[in-house]
Amino acid sequence: MTATTSTPASLPRQLTLDEEGKRLGFRMTLPTQILILFIAVFPLLMQIYISLTDWSPLDGVSWISAYESWNNFANFVDLIQDDRLWAALRRTFLVMAVCVPAQFFLALGLAVLFVDNFIGKRLFYSILLTPMMVVPSVAGYMFFMLFQSGGPINGIISGVTGMDFAVAWLSDPHLALVAVMIADVWQWTPLMFLILLAGLIGVPEDQLRAATLLGASWWQRFTTIMLPRIKIVIVIALAIRVVEIFKIFDTLYVMTGGGPGVATETISVYIYKITTQDLTWAYVAAIALFILITLSVLANMALRRMGRRS
Amino acid sequence: MKRSIAFELVRYALILAAVAITLVPIVWMATMAFKPIPEWTASGADLTWWPRNPTLDNFRFVFGEETSELIVALDKSAIRPIAASLLASIFGTLIAMICGTAAAYGLSRFNVGGNLPLALIQLRLFPPMAVMIPIMIMWSFLGLVDTWWGLALVYGIVTLPFAFWLMKTFFDEMPREIEEAALVEGCSRFRVFMRITLPVMRAPLASSALFVFILNWSDYLIGLLLTTKEWVTVPVYMASLSSSMTGQLYGAKAALGLIAAVPPVVLGIAIQKYLVRGLTFGALKQ
Repeated sequence: MTATTSTPASLPRQLTLDEEGKRLGFRMTLPTQILILFIAVFPLLMQIYISLTDWSPLDGVSWISAYESWNNFANFVDLIQDDRLWAALRRTFLVMAVCVPAQFFLALGLAVLFVDNFIGKRLFYSILLTPMMVVPSVAGYMFFMLFQSGGPINGIISGVTGMDFAVAWLSDPHLALVAVMIADVWQWTPLMFLILLAGLIGVPEDQLRAATLLGASWWQRFTTIMLPRIKIVIVIALAIRVVEIFKIFDTLYVMTGGGPGVATETISVYIYKITTQDLTWAYVAAIALFILITLSVLANMALRRMGRRS
Repeated sequence: MKRSIAFELVRYALILAAVAITLVPIVWMATMAFKPIPEWTASGADLTWWPRNPTLDNFRFVFGEETSELIVALDKSAIRPIAASLLASIFGTLIAMICGTAAAYGLSRFNVGGNLPLALIQLRLFPPMAVMIPIMIMWSFLGLVDTWWGLALVYGIVTLPFAFWLMKTFFDEMPREIEEAALVEGCSRFRVFMRITLPVMRAPLASSALFVFILNWSDYLIGLLLTTKEWVTVPVYMASLSSSMTGQLYGAKAALGLIAAVPPVVLGIAIQKYLVRGLTFGALKQ
């Protein structure tokens, strides 16, 4: 900072601008620091504490006295043997493994179409971005309607094939998960599209023109100039979707409630169900802790690897 | 660059297909909201995309009016959930924006705060479901369950990372000369921030606030966990429309869904320019 003015000798206690700035800056971050303490650090300690007991809100004792039901890590032993938990985790990763690549390739294709100008670009762009702005639970309800056995999806299929098509998508264990994936792809491909397009627009045009002059085909320009240039953009887009799909809840829960049976139960839905139905909050705290630790480790590994590369 | 006609044709065909797929669910819900009962349940050959006898009954029903078509009247109109959603979202946005903007300015200008940015990203990384147990215990201890202010507080904290990162990128880009001129005039730093910086940043502030508002308005899970009766939000209320009645109230839910979907879509289009930054924590600039 260049504006360091020296304090007049007559006013020795007055702060220099730099000191004033540091002090102000610290004060300005204070509310956020307090909120983080209040909402992240303290709850985390509370979560660890509760996860080591058998405490439940039904007990009628304050959570502070939870130590009375200390259970020697029994929650964590249960967790390892909880088949429903592992199935929910596997299902979450399955949705991720299908949806993220699908969203990526659809979005990349669309973004390529949108790089240069054409008539109606702005209008089409706005329409294509709409799904990500629709409230996710409302989107869930839209797809709930669409996938009814007498609903429009079957109607469209019937119309195209000429057969009387009436599949009960949401009550079939396999199709329900497919329906959920379709809804997710519908809602979040636009986000990938938005990010990838932002990256592609940033690719310098003179490089592309130079490549054209050298006789590179469109595909060669795409793979040798455009893709490498937007590598970091692609990584960010994929990372955002991976993180978000891991949390998938709203759309899915509105569409299927995790059912039929447990066929669409992802990790968030499973935790939600035992939180509100079984009320075994100590066990939920243990599961939540397990997930938090796993995610932190994975995220730190990913960040470190990315840091080493760049 | 000259493009062949074939390329243009393929391009329009693909884009129109994508547009059609994008619009199908939205159109279906929008028209459903205006369909009378007999058309709700139409299936197969009777499917109508456009209501044959358009009606506003669904909207009237949602707002608690007796309607001839519907036998059951609701015990509660949607006005209260809409108020709950609005109050919680607006005050949540205020909390996030005030704390986020202040912290972003402090960090951007004076380089204080240590690893606050990373802590805030971590906050975003974890599934809300995995941190809700302590929040629920604290909230019931503080008497904040089923209140709009309790919800607003959680919303404010959950969306704070977005407010912070958006404002930080905007502050980083703002030329410092404007501020330095005022400093030379003898203004204190805080006065400069209030009198110069904030007015200059009006547009970014507004778009960040709208962005955060959309996120708050879209929440379902937190509302589901922290509200039970008095202050249920629109998505929670909407989902409950089916379980409390006999059968699915397609038309009524669609009407409410339309009401819930319109504000974020309109606001989202208004701030389209800033969406990339908001959603990537400012990692990408457009």
